[in-house]
Amino acid sequence: MHTVFLASLRTHIRRYVAAAIAVTVAVAFVVVVGVLTSGAHSGLMDGLGAPYRNADHVVSPTGWPSSELDPKAAIAFTERHGENASATGRATLPARANGRKLSELTTVGPIATSEKWRWQKLSSGRFPARAGEAVVDVYFATAENVAVGDRVRIGEGVAATDVEVVGLVESPSPPAQASMYVTWPQLLRWRDQVHLNAVAVRGEVGRLPEGAKAQSPEGFAAERLTYVQNRVNSLAVMLLLFAGVAIFVSVLVIANTFSILFAQRLRDFALLRCIGATRRQVVRSVRREAAVVGVLASLAGALVGIGLGYGLTALIGALAPGVPMGAAELPVLWLLGGFAVGLVVTMVASWLPTRRVVRVSPLAALRPDTAVDVHTATGRVRPAFAAILLVTGSALLGVAMVQDSTALMVAGGGSVFAGVLLFGPVLVPRLVWITGALLGPAGRLATKHAVRNPRRTATTTASLLVGVTLTTAVLTGMTTWRSALDEQIGRDHPIDVALTSPKEPVTTDLLNRVRHTPGVERAIPVDGAVARVSGLDEPILVVTVPAAAQVARDGGAFARVEPGKIGIDSEAFGKNLSLRPGDRVTVRVGDRRARLQVAVGTGWGPAGVVAPETLATLTDAPEPHAVWIRATSGADPARLGGDLDKLADPVGATIENGLRTWESLDRQLGIYTWSALGLTGIAVVIALIGIANTLGLSVLERAREHAMLRALGLTRGQLRRMLAAEAVLLSVVATLLGTVIGVVFAWVGHETFVKRALREATLQVPWPSLGVVVLIAALAGLLAAVLPARRAARVTPAAGLSLD
Amino acid sequence: MTTTTRQATQETVAASARNLTKTYGKGDARVHALRGIDLDLPRGRFIAIMGPSGSGKSTLMHCLAGLDQASGGTVTVAGTDLGSLDDDALTIFRREHIGFVFQSFNLLPMLTAEENIVLPLELGGRRIDDAVRERARMLADTLGVADRLGHRPAELSGGQQQRVAIARALITQPDLLFADEPTGNLDSTTSAEVLDHLRRSVRELGQTVVMVTHERDAATYADHVVTVQDGRIV
Ligand SMILES: Nc1ncnc2c1ncn2[C@@H]1O[C@H](COP(=O)(O)OP(=O)(O)OP(=O)(O)O)[C@@H](O)[C@H]1O
Ligand SMILES: [Mg+2]
Repeated sequence: MHTVFLASLRTHIRRYVAAAIAVTVAVAFVVVVGVLTSGAHSGLMDGLGAPYRNADHVVSPTGWPSSELDPKAAIAFTERHGENASATGRATLPARANGRKLSELTTVGPIATSEKWRWQKLSSGRFPARAGEAVVDVYFATAENVAVGDRVRIGEGVAATDVEVVGLVESPSPPAQASMYVTWPQLLRWRDQVHLNAVAVRGEVGRLPEGAKAQSPEGFAAERLTYVQNRVNSLAVMLLLFAGVAIFVSVLVIANTFSILFAQRLRDFALLRCIGATRRQVVRSVRREAAVVGVLASLAGALVGIGLGYGLTALIGALAPGVPMGAAELPVLWLLGGFAVGLVVTMVASWLPTRRVVRVSPLAALRPDTAVDVHTATGRVRPAFAAILLVTGSALLGVAMVQDSTALMVAGGGSVFAGVLLFGPVLVPRLVWITGALLGPAGRLATKHAVRNPRRTATTTASLLVGVTLTTAVLTGMTTWRSALDEQIGRDHPIDVALTSPKEPVTTDLLNRVRHTPGVERAIPVDGAVARVSGLDEPILVVTVPAAAQVARDGGAFARVEPGKIGIDSEAFGKNLSLRPGDRVTVRVGDRRARLQVAVGTGWGPAGVVAPETLATLTDAPEPHAVWIRATSGADPARLGGDLDKLADPVGATIENGLRTWESLDRQLGIYTWSALGLTGIAVVIALIGIANTLGLSVLERAREHAMLRALGLTRGQLRRMLAAEAVLLSVVATLLGTVIGVVFAWVGHETFVKRALREATLQVPWPSLGVVVLIAALAGLLAAVLPARRAARVTPAAGLSLD
Repeated sequence: MTTTTRQATQETVAASARNLTKTYGKGDARVHALRGIDLDLPRGRFIAIMGPSGSGKSTLMHCLAGLDQASGGTVTVAGTDLGSLDDDALTIFRREHIGFVFQSFNLLPMLTAEENIVLPLELGGRRIDDAVRERARMLADTLGVADRLGHRPAELSGGQQQRVAIARALITQPDLLFADEPTGNLDSTTSAEVLDHLRRSVRELGQTVVMVTHERDAATYADHVVTVQDGRIV
């Protein structure tokens, strides 16, 4: 049997290539996740402890992460130790540079002047030596366009201070990280905003502040690391879920490869049985083939994974210096795990097909033409079982939607999907018929080829079905989430940019210049009057905006204030706003007054919004004191903000830029969507390899038929087109089915848990994107057909006819 | 050379070969399957090509039918030099001028008998209308498989499959019909029927049929017998 095993391995190894690639990709996926996790761990380990390396003790909150140090006590504690203590922490402060507002998430942290406490690594310029100087995190500097030599205004009102950027630093310790760093005394200007998370101490600790504990630096680093690492690990688990999908798809591809190959070789096996090989011998030989494929493919996958993983680590280090990525240790466990997964997957996937080999009777060798008619019966058990799964699954999904139960949803979804897969041999060929009819007479032969073996067709499409269902669900889920967030942000930031000029009325000239600023779609003047409001120190603007709907993202709802009320932007007036919703205030313009009730909202700048009637009681001559602006879609918020700032500054007006929130939301959702698509994309790629593989193997199987068709007058081009049409049919049918199921799943998911989180979310199906997915699938199907079709067309009819 | 008519004109010759050679492989593995064949196939006749196994019968047929490129010499079918045609032109030429019946695997398993019969027309882009179907039915009727038109090949006997294949070869009214051991898999009664059908298509429809066989009984149905030995005609 050994010679048979070796000979058949030699003859057939090339036919295993595609299946092996599927395994390789899946294993590489797992190993890459391993390398990245290990890199992130070591990166965190390197950076995290840096601020505390010269300390004897680290003082941090006892109940961390649920409680923090009392800022005042911690500052006092740090001050008390003088040179022997260094605090880490930050204050989130508004900042402006080069005439524009920096990110709302700008944080300012302390940097020590002494070498022994300083942990930031200089990458250009120099360290700050005194108050008035600052260094900026390199990553933040790139994102916000800040350079050495720039002046940054930190804080607002009386606490606003100008600092000069003297250097850029790398700051690898997550607990101590901030966007920019100033000296400790300088930081204490904003002592009310500073939150400290730890204090490094040399020598005696002395009396600890309330709710604080002292640890060794190692102990502290270990505590924080476990926390961050848990988050890295849960990310790794997420990635592994995607890897699991890729592995599942590989199983389908491998199982299909083996069943096709074994179907083709059934006569060989029967012949072996005829000449005296036992069942066990035949099966063992076949399983050894599977094992060889599994071992080679898993090895390749491990190697590719290592290469790719380290490559990615280096790439992330180069592209995103802010991400803590260290030199990854070789993740031996992950490697072994990935290898084992690859081997097990191959063996498991080949199990069923090899069992069929067992059942082959020696007589099959004597029966002529068995290999030709490969119709497999779909049986009765399968559809019945599939029906049960579909019915119970749908019922579970229904209950899940009513009870908002995620667990039931997962169970129901799994059950429905399994049902669809089992139902595939009945369902998919019918869908292929329907789709094939659209191709006209040219596609008829292709259609018939595509459905001649229902089970093979079903398995081939199943792998793509999995990937497309996921992709569709992701796309639909993201679009739905996005539109729900859009609505919410529309409420929170109804006006893209508000230019408010409390002192001088806005001139027509200014309004026109605003309207001509690039990125401005519409701008409306806002009429109002300067008023004194009881409870506020400074006079504020009181406006009425019946035309708000022209520019507001929420349709102007925020500006439709009832008479007797005044809407206040709680964000624009900052944390010092003493007014609470429901408070009654007196609003005075000159000697007229009105008693109004406060309503609070956000997103239109430092002005109180009242009903037109209310304003009419306060003044007879309202003047335009603000301009509200709707930006064009795709306008660059930073540039638009900067341009408007230049117009606003000379007349003493201020700019409220709500567009920035949109941008960061866009960017974030973009990152989520693309990562999810990239990850499901791997499963889709494996599935396409599977389609190419099935087609390639079928082409080998049908060499005689193709030769005959060529003899009868099928040109090379027609043959190629026929095979391409077959592949396109398979991929388009799988994609269409996957799109439908994916949208249904997304709808169920939406009803089950999205609605709970975002009440006003309505399901949004991104039809154009889904159309693109179908188109891509069709093109990929074409691509999958290229190699098999070329190979098939190369054979001369005579050569094909003399094949057995 | 016993049966060929040297001075045959274009009207009477369906196909001819001049100094036809075919070699397979290179170097030591080189096989001379055909070593200079001169042959004229008279129109409207039933010609049998005979010879021992490995003598080059199938190779000769493949070259005459444009299924394979000859290594040397010329093949002319219906006045066209096959060597001057590229692959697509050759394919279309086959579609229009040549019919085939093979020993086995003649029919596409996923098509019904009727679909198999009209396949050559469909490949040529012809609409399968009632006239075409009527013609297929007539042929099937002549060949005795009219009641089997809706069946797939797997549901037909070997003899029925061969007769469906003959119907398919005849539907385009080809200049030449090639059959490579059409009765190789059949019992003697069924073979006799199939051979009879081939002969009737020559007699009644005026087809030219070239049959490769190594059964002497089969050759007796033919008007002419060409014997090939070791790549040469004897
Ligand atoms: N593709 C090929 N490569 C190499 N040699 C070939 C090839 N096809 C045929 N031959 C050789 O060419 C010679 C003629 O083969 P051919 O198939 O024409 O014989 P045949 O007369 O049809 O035999 P049979 O009666 O057994 O079918 C044989 O020696 C054969 O080994
Ligand atoms: Mg032969």
